[in-house]
Amino acid sequence: MGLKAYLNDIVEAVVTTAKGMRITARYGVDPKEEVTLQYPEERWEIPQGYRGFLHNDIKTCTACNMCVKVCPIDCISLEAVRGADKKMVLCSYDINIGRCMFCGLCVEVCPVNSLLHTSGYEMASVARGELILHFIAAEDAPEIKARVARQVAEAAVKAAEAAKVAEAAKAAETAKPSDLSSEAAKAPVVEPKAAKEAAPKAPVSEPTVAKEGEKKE
Amino acid sequence: MEALALSLVHAVPLLAGVPLWTVTLLLMVVVAAVILVFALTFEGVGSLVLRKVAGDIQARIGPNRVGPNGILQFLADGVKLVLKEDIIPANADRLLFKLAPYFVFVGSFAAFVVVPFGVGLIAADLNIGIYYVMAVTSLVVIGVLLAGWASNNKWALLGGMRAAAQIVSYEIPVGMALLPAVLIAGSLSLQDIVRSQGGLLGIFGWNLFHNPFTFFSFFLYFTAAQAETNQTPFDLPEAESELVSGYNVEYSGIRFGLFFLAEFGDMFIVAALATACFLGGWNVPFFHVGTLPWIWGNLLSLGVFLTKAFAMVLIMMWVRWTLPRLRVDQLMRMSWKYLVPLTFVNLFGVSLWLLVFRGKGIPGMIASLFG
Repeated sequence: MGLKAYLNDIVEAVVTTAKGMRITARYGVDPKEEVTLQYPEERWEIPQGYRGFLHNDIKTCTACNMCVKVCPIDCISLEAVRGADKKMVLCSYDINIGRCMFCGLCVEVCPVNSLLHTSGYEMASVARGELILHFIAAEDAPEIKARVARQVAEAAVKAAEAAKVAEAAKAAETAKPSDLSSEAAKAPVVEPKAAKEAAPKAPVSEPTVAKEGEKKE
Repeated sequence: MEALALSLVHAVPLLAGVPLWTVTLLLMVVVAAVILVFALTFEGVGSLVLRKVAGDIQARIGPNRVGPNGILQFLADGVKLVLKEDIIPANADRLLFKLAPYFVFVGSFAAFVVVPFGVGLIAADLNIGIYYVMAVTSLVVIGVLLAGWASNNKWALLGGMRAAAQIVSYEIPVGMALLPAVLIAGSLSLQDIVRSQGGLLGIFGWNLFHNPFTFFSFFLYFTAAQAETNQTPFDLPEAESELVSGYNVEYSGIRFGLFFLAEFGDMFIVAALATACFLGGWNVPFFHVGTLPWIWGNLLSLGVFLTKAFAMVLIMMWVRWTLPRLRVDQLMRMSWKYLVPLTFVNLFGVSLWLLVFRGKGIPGMIASLFG
């Protein structure tokens, strides 16, 4: 190393140090450069389409099982039973949010848009079990199943009765095809059946009311 | 100290019956306590300022939870350090492990004895002041090496070895860079050095502007001293990224606190020496503080000295948060290939200057031109 290179080294050291110190001084003096967000007091604005925790609106959910099938890490599980009106009734819907990677496939695949991302991102727990989100309380499941089973049974009885009545009416009709009174007699029999069928329909969409259990996922 | 005791005995008749050595001893303890309190306060506030400056430079906020704007953070830190469990590793050399922090702290704190805080504010105006500082801060090497060895931990040992190599290497440029001030004052006493920079020239009486060689000498001293006290661009002994925290990795509680305090004490000593040797010390520009009443003269000079010293500490922190850490070989090369030859050249230049111009500096010559 010659003398020139030696002196160059020294000059370079001084110049680069001065340059660095100028930059840090600028940051040190300028208060606007602060990037700290004082988190619990200040919060950032959540962007549109933010994939936060999942939320399933169980009133809308049809228990189609699509989310369970599409989930790459199997963190969604649901249990549903077939109701009296042939529609599926949810009796449990769990998401293991501790395992979820927020890929959003389940939300994309949901046909009725009942499964959605919320803007929530804060959760702390002392046990892994607490990270499983139960959208229907676990202790409600047997009750729902029992109710659905009862309603399905009732519906079956009604259907059988209705069938009997219908058969009787048919028999009567065949006996007296042009009798007006038999038609008048048939109408009131049908009407309550229709009313009964309509009555359980409304509670079906509610999570706590349910019908017969057939299907188990 | 004995003169002070004598004057105290003369001033207070009640003390006439007390033996002189008792008064002297009591005075020594009081002075030591005052300096200790100053050192501890500086170290506490210094640690807070360091973190605040770091926050500003790194576009963060820094500590802001304890007290208004975080100004009580250092008290919380101190309480925490005192209350923490003091752990000694099972396979450590217990005696050396316990001894090491005291060496480090004493080495750093003992240097405060000769710091010239004001006209009359100096614990002991030793006639070998600078030499004493150099000697006593070398005690830190032993403490650091002991800490590294006694911890029975490979990181601590590596840190200790590095510290020893580094401090020994950088002591030479530090001494050589301080010598120009000694040559100009013709004395090793820090008070004499400070007094030699007074006079009617104002800030141009400072050794910094005496001649080009002393100007460079100041920067050489500042660089080398940062390395000697393990400040960040040269903090290889406690390189967090490689050695976890170096020689003090096994220490906890108040023993760690002593290392921590020593680090900040060293910082102040470096700033104080730079101030005293190159920046005019407690001299007030264009004004002779000795003519004032004792108490006002001392307060004024203390204020001036502390302002300069704290400004130097701030610059050290600024450098600390600017430059990345050197490699071991770069560190050694910087000392032996750059700083040592340059300080020798400087020393030679200053000696030659003093010989040729009969001890006059450039500002002095210019002043004499105008009468």
